[in-house]
Amino acid sequence: MDKKRHFYPPKLADRFLEFYCVSDRLEQIQGDAYEMFYMDLEEKGITYARFRFIFHVFSFFKWSNIGFSKFLHFKTNNTVMIRSYFKIGWRNILKQKGTTFISVFGLSCAVGCCIVAYLFIANIWFKGLNQPNKDEIYQLVYTTEEDEGLVTYGTVAEPVSELIPNSLNSIKNQTKVLLEFPLLIQDNESFYQRSLFVDPAYMEMFQYRMEYGYPGALQETDQVILTHQLSEKLFGEMNPIGQELSLVINGEERLYKVGGVLEDLKDMDMFTFDLLVNFESHPHNMADIPLKDAWNKELWTFIQVEEGADIGLIESEMEGFTQIQNQVNPEKPYTKMGLIAYPDIIYNVGKIERGVRDFLGLGPQILLGTIGLFILLLAVFNYINLSVLMASRRLKEIGVRKVIGSKRSQLIFQFLSENLLICFFAIFLGCLLAGFVFLPGFNGIASKNLQIDLFRDKNIWIFLGSLLLVITLITGLYPATYLSSFKPIGILKGNQKIGSKSVFTSVLLSFQFTLAIISMVAAIAFVQTNYINANRDWGYSSADKIIVNVPESKDYVPLKNRLSALSSVVEVSGSQDYVGNWIREKEAFIGTEKYEVNFLNAESNYPELLDLELKEGRMFNPDLITDTQESILVNQTFLDDFGLEFPFDQSVEIDSVRYHVIGVVEDFHTTFFKNTIEPMAISASPDSTFNYLTLKMNPGSAEGSMEAVKKIWHETVPLGLFEGKLQTQVFEREIADVNGVAKLISFSAALSVILALLGLFGLVSLNMTAHIKDYCIRKVFGANVEDLSKKLLKRYLIIWGIAAVIGSVFSAFFITSFLDSFFAFHSGVGIIPLGFALFILLGVIISTVASQIWKVIKANPAVILKSE
Amino acid sequence: MKGYHLGELEELVLLIVGILDQEAYGVSVAEEIKNQMGRKVNISAIHTVLNRLEEKGFVKSHMGGATEERGGRRKRLFSLSASGRAAIHEVKMARNRLYDQLPPLALDFSNG
Repeated sequence: MDKKRHFYPPKLADRFLEFYCVSDRLEQIQGDAYEMFYMDLEEKGITYARFRFIFHVFSFFKWSNIGFSKFLHFKTNNTVMIRSYFKIGWRNILKQKGTTFISVFGLSCAVGCCIVAYLFIANIWFKGLNQPNKDEIYQLVYTTEEDEGLVTYGTVAEPVSELIPNSLNSIKNQTKVLLEFPLLIQDNESFYQRSLFVDPAYMEMFQYRMEYGYPGALQETDQVILTHQLSEKLFGEMNPIGQELSLVINGEERLYKVGGVLEDLKDMDMFTFDLLVNFESHPHNMADIPLKDAWNKELWTFIQVEEGADIGLIESEMEGFTQIQNQVNPEKPYTKMGLIAYPDIIYNVGKIERGVRDFLGLGPQILLGTIGLFILLLAVFNYINLSVLMASRRLKEIGVRKVIGSKRSQLIFQFLSENLLICFFAIFLGCLLAGFVFLPGFNGIASKNLQIDLFRDKNIWIFLGSLLLVITLITGLYPATYLSSFKPIGILKGNQKIGSKSVFTSVLLSFQFTLAIISMVAAIAFVQTNYINANRDWGYSSADKIIVNVPESKDYVPLKNRLSALSSVVEVSGSQDYVGNWIREKEAFIGTEKYEVNFLNAESNYPELLDLELKEGRMFNPDLITDTQESILVNQTFLDDFGLEFPFDQSVEIDSVRYHVIGVVEDFHTTFFKNTIEPMAISASPDSTFNYLTLKMNPGSAEGSMEAVKKIWHETVPLGLFEGKLQTQVFEREIADVNGVAKLISFSAALSVILALLGLFGLVSLNMTAHIKDYCIRKVFGANVEDLSKKLLKRYLIIWGIAAVIGSVFSAFFITSFLDSFFAFHSGVGIIPLGFALFILLGVIISTVASQIWKVIKANPAVILKSE
Repeated sequence: MKGYHLGELEELVLLIVGILDQEAYGVSVAEEIKNQMGRKVNISAIHTVLNRLEEKGFVKSHMGGATEERGGRRKRLFSLSASGRAAIHEVKMARNRLYDQLPPLALDFSNG
């Protein structure tokens, strides 16, 4: 009989029997099978017995015995069980309103942040992928050999598209796509708008929902299709079909009618544009130009292939284009032409020059993703901590369930189902929060148009679903496995210790504190940097100056003359680029060494007009011919970078002209503080034509004269867009950008502190409720406030200390590199951000603990200790 | 012959159930058949027959008698019902009747 202890029938076969057998026959059949097994075991040994058992299991596999009873049984039972789980879960939620609020609030904030981050990132990666024909559309590209190796271009020569219908097989549609910024004039207002010149087939290849009109409107060469935003901007709410507007392309004005309006694209289209125009109406299309010039014009070309077309074959057919191109244009031969699938365009950003998308903006994606993750972690940790603690009130339930016969897996399932309920609420609220609070705020800061589109965007459902699953599992698995691991005897006897003192809770809490510190340091350091930069010396005086653009060279002289005549204008100077914007880069040779320098070509009075500070040498003298021909001023960085001392004899050669350095000016910021100060050379040209005019105004009159300047400008240049601005405003956009980021980070820091506070509060107050008797007894025995606070505070202070060390180290590393990515000039993670962050967190901890100590102080020990 | 049709194995199992009297269940029936008749019958076949007999109303059953060998599972114990006993009797009578009608062996000289 001893053998029975050691040997069991084969498990798998046994399971199989249990699986298929009808429930009311299972017991007898299984019993008989077991009995036979042990009989065989006695007689013939284990191998034979096992074999026989398996044989029996299969011989019982008969129609009358098969019922998949376990499976069916399990299912019917489960619905009841799940219902009861959810009922218990729901009652628990109602019973513990405070903690549930903390959990749900935290999680929904986190979900809201994650949705915003997701939408932002998805907007970049899934752009244009809701096009129904996306798998049939390909972009033509070519590869050519250049100095730095093979380079692939997203544009191809324009005549290629004319060859496509006759040369390539299985092509359904094709279109040229050319993006230009013509001046759009409507009702005496003019704007630069992104216009996409396309073939009419474009509207068949790419499907858009129309608000007004129909997609075929582009068949007419004099019709345009507007986006929703542009139509709203130009015509307001009315139906604009048939309204007139004109576009100025290459100085030529053409009249168009509005033929249609697209529905709001929600930033989800591959191309960024404001209006679609028929390609044939593009002026350069009309002109008869030499063959070679035509091949020199490059634009995007897209084809739509028939279903199941062989892309390799088409690519080999395109070999012919390469040959034609290389005959016509032997100076820049194509190595190879190819096709890029429309959905792959996004993955080729950076690999393809002049592509449809040439910028991914990883920085903001990482920033937002990190913020979302931080907040989510904080909320999740809160929830884990609280749910473990809250479950201490339910230990008896766990014990009783276990004694009655719940399996551990069933208990885990029960806790998880309660979690699912909470997470579901959180996600629901998170969607509302994101849709009505976070997204509008974020769109305002980032000037984006992100929306939660639950009806059309199936990816958001996948995202929300997986978020629900992930949060449920992360928040639920630890508490569920931990709580279900208790021994029922321990629980029911009251021996089971469960509590906030566990190491795990402390670890989570320190992690939370660390996250809070890092996000606070980021926010404070960023705001501090912003503040310092706002007061930073630009290196020149920006007051009382107006910059205006000169659209065409023929306008330069009249514009300059008429503006000089304005009474408030003191001095006028022209320049090729202006300080406050990008300055073109040139190669400079000093001796045989080659350097990259910014090269600013301007009139000789420009440096003085701008009040640049002279450090050594002298400024330009307009009367000296040598100054306007072979002299340059350089900035201090120029000397520092190239290791030169001021009076030096070597000449600087730029564009094969030899210049002599006559003076050194102090460094000044030509671009925003994001960029370092580059070595710069300023040359004075004789009065030629420049792209910009800088006006020096009478002190204090700059802002007031703007209107007058604009009026004169428009009188002089009838067809053009006035882009005048004050010199003080040159960094306006960048400042708005960093202020937006500052807001974003401050918001996330505030949120993370609030979440950490809520979590801590929940933890401390639950802890206090559990140990209130302990504290009351201490009180009775004469403990004073100091002793009590010391006892309660000690643990949290230790955690604070740990978090402070880790957080400081981490933020010193990460926040510094984070700031580096935004500013070349920043104050770094100094004592102020760190100190403030640590101090705020300490304050939060002390006040939270104090609120609980206050509870003890107010508590009457007699009442609490009596209640036993 | 109203409805007492029994197959060969059915008849055998029915008899064994009667013999085992209160102790008849799958394994014991199989064992008994092996001991008495020297014939190995598959346990699943026995189950099928027992179930069929119960459907026909020749045996009745109840659950009982868990043992350690069975991992604490109970047996389904079968016992002969009145109609089962009648069926055995009927079958036996029919056999006897048929037997009696056998012509005598050729070497039997008693009839001359």
